[in-house]
Amino acid sequence: MREEIKKIRDLMESAEYVTDPAMATSVHLAMTLRKPLLIEGHAGVGKTEVAKVMSRMLGTRLIRLQCYEGLDAAQALYEWNYPKQILHIKLQEHSETSTPDKEHEIFSEPFLIRRPLLQAITPNGAPPVLLIDEIDRADEEFEAFLLEVLSDFQVTIPEIGTVKATEPPYVILTSNRNRELSDALRRRCLYLWVDYPGFDKEVRIVTRKVAGVNERLARQISRFMETLRTVRLAKLPGVAETLDWAQALSSLHADHLDEELVLETLGCVLKDPDDIKRVRKELAASGMKRFVAAEG
Amino acid sequence: MPATAPARNLLTQTLAFGRMLRAAGVATTTSEVMDAVRALESIDLLDRDEVYLGLRTVLVTRKEEIPIFDRLFESFWKYRADEGQGLDGLIQNIEPPKPGDDTIHGSVESHAKKETQVALEGWEEQGEDAGEPLEVPGVSAQEVLMDQDFSTFPTEHLDEVARVTVLIAKRLARRLSRRRRPVRRGGVVDLRRSIRANLLKGEMIELRRRERRRRKIRLVLIADVSGSMDLYSRFLLLFLYALQNVFGRVETFTFATRLTRITEHLKGTTYKEALRQLAAVRDWSGGTRIGESLHEFNRSWGHLVDRRTIVIILSDGWDTGEPEELEHEMLVIKRKAGRMIWLNPLLGNPSYEPLTRGMAAALPLVDHFAAAHNLSSLRDLAGHLKLG
Repeated sequence: MREEIKKIRDLMESAEYVTDPAMATSVHLAMTLRKPLLIEGHAGVGKTEVAKVMSRMLGTRLIRLQCYEGLDAAQALYEWNYPKQILHIKLQEHSETSTPDKEHEIFSEPFLIRRPLLQAITPNGAPPVLLIDEIDRADEEFEAFLLEVLSDFQVTIPEIGTVKATEPPYVILTSNRNRELSDALRRRCLYLWVDYPGFDKEVRIVTRKVAGVNERLARQISRFMETLRTVRLAKLPGVAETLDWAQALSSLHADHLDEELVLETLGCVLKDPDDIKRVRKELAASGMKRFVAAEG
Repeated sequence: MPATAPARNLLTQTLAFGRMLRAAGVATTTSEVMDAVRALESIDLLDRDEVYLGLRTVLVTRKEEIPIFDRLFESFWKYRADEGQGLDGLIQNIEPPKPGDDTIHGSVESHAKKETQVALEGWEEQGEDAGEPLEVPGVSAQEVLMDQDFSTFPTEHLDEVARVTVLIAKRLARRLSRRRRPVRRGGVVDLRRSIRANLLKGEMIELRRRERRRRKIRLVLIADVSGSMDLYSRFLLLFLYALQNVFGRVETFTFATRLTRITEHLKGTTYKEALRQLAAVRDWSGGTRIGESLHEFNRSWGHLVDRRTIVIILSDGWDTGEPEELEHEMLVIKRKAGRMIWLNPLLGNPSYEPLTRGMAAALPLVDHFAAAHNLSSLRDLAGHLKLG
């Protein structure tokens, strides 16, 4: 294994992030090839964490752009500070300044609000990590716009001119696959699919992240989650749910799982009434054995 | 060995691997292959897993491509028995599997087919569209065709009926597009333009507005191609296919006993080609498993459905599976979709009642239930392809 990749893995582990070779390789290549990394996976598998850990590793700033439906360039790139502009015009009402001068004045740097994308292109110091979170929530139009920015890290502000990054930022995009992303965007990025963790990895995550959970409980929790994800549910629980649950069990001072305890705390894991009903039914029918068979 | 020799070899071999991926349907670009070469330079070539992971993160762009990638990686970078032989050594002696080799699906052939794009434009010219569409976009001479059930046309007339279907759809498309005109009121205030307009006044007197951007509606069509439903599915498909420019995206699936996504087959082909493709996916094994097919849809393609998506299912509801499953899967779609339409061609028969267990389970969850058995019902359907 390449030294750098090992180092990334160690750094991620020391930042309390349980990783695997696939993730470490992708992060390494994203940094050496300077290409954006697109991370896809179900909700709650720790996609966003990768960017946080990466910025900690590089010792640079993390700039986050949270996407949502209707997000546009004004919110992502830059916006003029309209209240400030209006006040300025008001104050200058009786001055002799000519209109073109006034205009020039209010459309200059001090009146510019830098949104995440512009911040990432024009950082103070080292290139930051730009996290574009849940890109699948933004509209197709925004995606096209983003593609343009990501291809040359250069934007044109009509009133000021063209701004270009001296050194491009490290870019991480995440998607929950609520919408299919365009091929153009996909091809621009490295790709990493993050699945639910396997049994061993989940045990490691639980013991690392939640204090007061013994090995046996951690194994039972992970086995239960592993089985649960094979049940036909409307919303499969992610790692975030596993950790919530482990936290809850730990504060109840539980040292192993039993049916009663599971029924009491099922709300930590399942967030859909139909799913809860379904699992209750299965538990009533076949008991705990079905869920934690291998762990006894 | 001169230092450039393995590098060149790495390059040509990676290029060959890229070509193989393309032939198997993973649309790798040259710049990605160049990135792959650069990636190989910064990883441990002796570590096979690392080579695999490195190439995968560069060349694969979606989860669905991973199995294809795995298979090709396996056959291309064949692991020679001699342990410790680096990749440089390995790659010199490997011949890429020939196209047509059993391990490769997709194939070059289908690419060649895609080149021959004639598309639907032909129909428009033949349609002699004289100015504004009439009140009813059907041509009066063809009015008789409008109410006749598709299944009652003699085979030799089906081409003509198909032509009229496309014609009607084209006209409707024009009208639907026009409906999305910018609005004067409402919308959001465009502060940037307002400031400019009021630069001298010092007050915001005149507000400039811009239209609130809305995403186009998307369609997901899940069509039953078993037995008697096949013909109706074809006409519906033809119709929606001709309407597709009105929508942001049209995704098409067919099912009888299992679900097949045919969106890719329909891209850039003529409608006739599309219909031929449809015939190819038809499965004759008999029986319909709607619940199971919808489960497969939800599991693998659920991310295609959101609030701005209309899901259309065409089927007679004759399900050999459990109605509970169908109901459950319908509910999953219903929660995410903007609108759910069920088309049952048998509804065109006045004496028909939706009594199958599947139909009874699905009906309460459906926003619109209609027939789609003849041209006028397809035309009416267009009016329901909107949200809110």
